Amino acid sequence: MKWLRFILLLLFVAVLQSGTVMNIFALTARHIKPNIFLLLLVYFAINCDSFDAIITSFAVGFAADLAGAVMGPHIISYGLVGVAVAYVRNIILLKKTNQQAAAIFAAGIFVELIAVLLTGLKASGLAKMDGMEIFAVAAYSAILWFMLKLPITAAGKWTGAGIFHFGARQMGR
Amino acid sequence: MRFKPSKLTLFISLVLLGFIFLLTPQNITSRLNFAFIGIFRFFLNVGSSAVYYQQSENSKVSPFFVPRHEYDKLWVAYTNLQSQIGEQKKQIEELGKVRMTEPDPATGLVLAKIVNRRKQEFIINKGTADGLANGQYVLGDNAVIGCITQAQADISSVRLITSSACKLAVKISAPDADVYFNGTMAGDDKNGAKIPNVPKKYDIKEGYYVYAAAAPGFLQSPRILGRVLKCTVDQSNPVLWEIDIAPAYNFDNLTDVAVIVLKTGIN
Repeated sequence: MKWLRFILLLLFVAVLQSGTVMNIFALTARHIKPNIFLLLLVYFAINCDSFDAIITSFAVGFAADLAGAVMGPHIISYGLVGVAVAYVRNIILLKKTNQQAAAIFAAGIFVELIAVLLTGLKASGLAKMDGMEIFAVAAYSAILWFMLKLPITAAGKWTGAGIFHFGARQMGR
Repeated sequence: MRFKPSKLTLFISLVLLGFIFLLTPQNITSRLNFAFIGIFRFFLNVGSSAVYYQQSENSKVSPFFVPRHEYDKLWVAYTNLQSQIGEQKKQIEELGKVRMTEPDPATGLVLAKIVNRRKQEFIINKGTADGLANGQYVLGDNAVIGCITQAQADISSVRLITSSACKLAVKISAPDADVYFNGTMAGDDKNGAKIPNVPKKYDIKEGYYVYAAAAPGFLQSPRILGRVLKCTVDQSNPVLWEIDIAPAYNFDNLTDVAVIVLKTGIN
């Protein structure tokens, strides 16, 4: 992994996710927007070795918190779910796009459920998401994966993820 | 020799780090969020004024129509004037008995730009250095849109009236009866707000205007906030109304806000 490039990618996505540009993609009066962090979480969890997947999952969570309102809930929720996806990848390869989209959908629901519970511990009045919104964001992000798979794969390869050199030993595989 | 922790050690350390962030008070960790906004302010706000200018261009199509943004602005100004007239009528009545004191010259407005929009929250580019403090009212084109919740030196967060964390004392104007009904409003975390526990004996109808009640040091006279969207009987207590409020202003159109502050050093 090229960690400097990975940090730059995270910063770019954090700015994109919390900026007003994302309002272009907002649906309905409730402003349902896709969560690009979810796509990154699942991409890196699938394409990195287990050790790197742990770091990338928590780092994506940190970026999500930085772009949000409360620090802490997403670091934990993205970390837990990212690691879970990385271990599921050892059983199911998740190579097909529709399998990855399903993983994004499931990850989206678990990530936000955990984050909402933890946010309630710290600042109960901040950024509440109800069940319908959690479902909608996860579904929207999963659908968007079919369109964003190519650019995210390209960005991922730029950071050194998903490139396996001939003869190199993959840790934890 | 390069140290490389085991996967379990790494995982536990990062979970602990997450819990440290989670358990650190919000006023400390919010500095990180504000620092991020401060650094990337320009990029975060790209495109925010596009909607407004796009609408202004459309207004040139016909001289008989005004854009929604312009209409809202005029409506808000009109309702605020109505409220002020009501207040001044009362003052004239009182003047017959007691000489009124001069209006407080210490209150003023601080104009601020919206640098980031979050769910039920705006981040603005003014802070305690400009006299902002928690609890102050924030106006968007003269209508109350929220209050300051986290004020730091040069950046603050505004909790919008649609957030359940924003609770305000309000007055519902009943023009046919020429009275105000009092209540406490809280956002519904969607696009509106609710006033619970209003006695059903009050004859409140859809379309009535809702004003933020005057508060000493924060708001001198009631300011328009929204209008009654729906009155429903409280399911748990049939003698009470549950009133749904639609905000006066579409928050998406706002690029600047004004904060009502108490200026210091004025005698």
